[in-house]
Amino acid sequence: MAGSPISRGFRSRRQEQTPRNRVPPGQYVTTDFPVLSAGPTPQIKVEDWTLSLQLAGSLLGKWSWAEFEALPQTTIKTDIHCVTKWSKLDTTWRGVTFDDLLKGVGLAEPPTPYVMAHSDGGYTTNLPVADLINGRGMIVTRYEGLPIPPVHGGPARLFVPHLYFWKSAKWVRRLRFMEKDERGFWESLGYHNYGDPWKEQRYDGD
Amino acid sequence: MTENNSVLFLDGNAAASLLQEIFVPDISIAEIRCVACGFASTVGSLRLYAASMGAVLRCTHCDGILIRAVHTRHGRWLEMTGARHLRF
Amino acid sequence: MIEPAIAPQPRLEWQLAEVRAIVVETPRVKSLLLQVPAWQGHLPGQHVDIRLTAEDGYQAQRSYSIASPPEDALLTLTVERLDNGEVSPYLVDDVRVGDQFELRGPIGGYFVWTVATRGPLCLIAGGSGIAPLAAMLRHRARRKVRAPTLLMYSSRSLEEVIYGEELDAMSRGDSDLRLVNTLTREQPEGWTGYRRRIDKAMLAEVGFPPEQHPKIFICGPTPLVEDASRFLVELGHPFPTIKTERFGPTGGLAS
Repeated sequence: MAGSPISRGFRSRRQEQTPRNRVPPGQYVTTDFPVLSAGPTPQIKVEDWTLSLQLAGSLLGKWSWAEFEALPQTTIKTDIHCVTKWSKLDTTWRGVTFDDLLKGVGLAEPPTPYVMAHSDGGYTTNLPVADLINGRGMIVTRYEGLPIPPVHGGPARLFVPHLYFWKSAKWVRRLRFMEKDERGFWESLGYHNYGDPWKEQRYDGD
Repeated sequence: MTENNSVLFLDGNAAASLLQEIFVPDISIAEIRCVACGFASTVGSLRLYAASMGAVLRCTHCDGILIRAVHTRHGRWLEMTGARHLRF
Repeated sequence: MIEPAIAPQPRLEWQLAEVRAIVVETPRVKSLLLQVPAWQGHLPGQHVDIRLTAEDGYQAQRSYSIASPPEDALLTLTVERLDNGEVSPYLVDDVRVGDQFELRGPIGGYFVWTVATRGPLCLIAGGSGIAPLAAMLRHRARRKVRAPTLLMYSSRSLEEVIYGEELDAMSRGDSDLRLVNTLTREQPEGWTGYRRRIDKAMLAEVGFPPEQHPKIFICGPTPLVEDASRFLVELGHPFPTIKTERFGPTGGLAS
């Protein structure tokens, strides 16, 4: 990038239209909702859907769709930031907080420092539990009041809006507690292990 | 919002410049065999997902991942554990 | 089915391309004719990456198909202005003759046809997907090879048919080249051609039958590419004879 000749008159038009105090560095605001997937969209029927919490070999808890919908529901309106540089403001989501999942299996606090989220289709992403508790992480099932469409991760996705959106794993089915951190799908291929958009932690080495 | 799978992927040929930075012969016409199902394809005909983050190239027969690649300012990553071989 | 590898290629390196001429093709489409000093040639159907750098160091990179045949001295890129695009509005609205930007290529030996390939050629294009197929047709015309060829080209209206006059002239002068246009949104008075999206019936009516083993290239918006390739398979064309280049919404070629 050093030494590239300037292209006369070229500017990033997207970034000019962005209110800078509201979005992280390097992002532009979109009113679309771009779809980005690492694979084909799983077509999951809610009758077949379950969500599990796992620790080592054992199951801490498992919910069917009906059981999951009966858990305390939380609605949140917030901004989301994709590592491919788009940000979307004031998006509304509804689901169950990670805190309420822990309560649901009788845990006052997470049993390990890290979690790996596993999704239908094989996608994974890793997080410190500190970034899931205290309302920071949820499993969401509604976007703007309607069931999340399959291309956007429905019936349920992980939702961790304070990190780049690749951490909000679509089609999540299993949260596996880990003693040691392990890198997930993108984290093992050059993307940042943590992913704080405000520090522009896009890539491993940033 | 569309639920059509087809808008989610491009042709493997579109990953050519990302991969061509690493390979000397033309990767897009190389034959690649899937470890999961044994199907042989040309790299250019694979299904390319997540092109804006890198490249996730999937088998046209079983959707298994054959190649994953990312190019960032810190370097290039290439993973081909899903491919039994590449033939140029 | 798997073509033998072409000779090893030099590593892709960024070069400086200079705009030598600009052609207005349609209200939203322009062709940029580029001088690339160390250009080593290309095969019809290949593409290039271009990279733009703003004064603050911000960079954007996109891929564009080469619309010119290898016989031309200048490289032609045909760009459609996408309203939400970051690069295409710059290339269509702002770029002037004499401007320079970085370019590397050629890339992608998969979606390639040359006159050395035997047999009928079936080209299916939607909108700006005509670009790489135009390189093939122009190459075919320059080499005066009369391979039986069909171009099926879907556009929204007559004024949005890119290279319209050139393609008409090409087919008028060549009985082995059939040009079939379909105008999906608006048709001029007296239009006797197709008025709908490419579908199976259309392909069955005008396409080469599978027994003739045509080489098939489809390029354009993803839904068109997806539909056309599915219909052709249903009509009996073996999947490996169909090569596709999808212009997707993100990543990939052009925005």
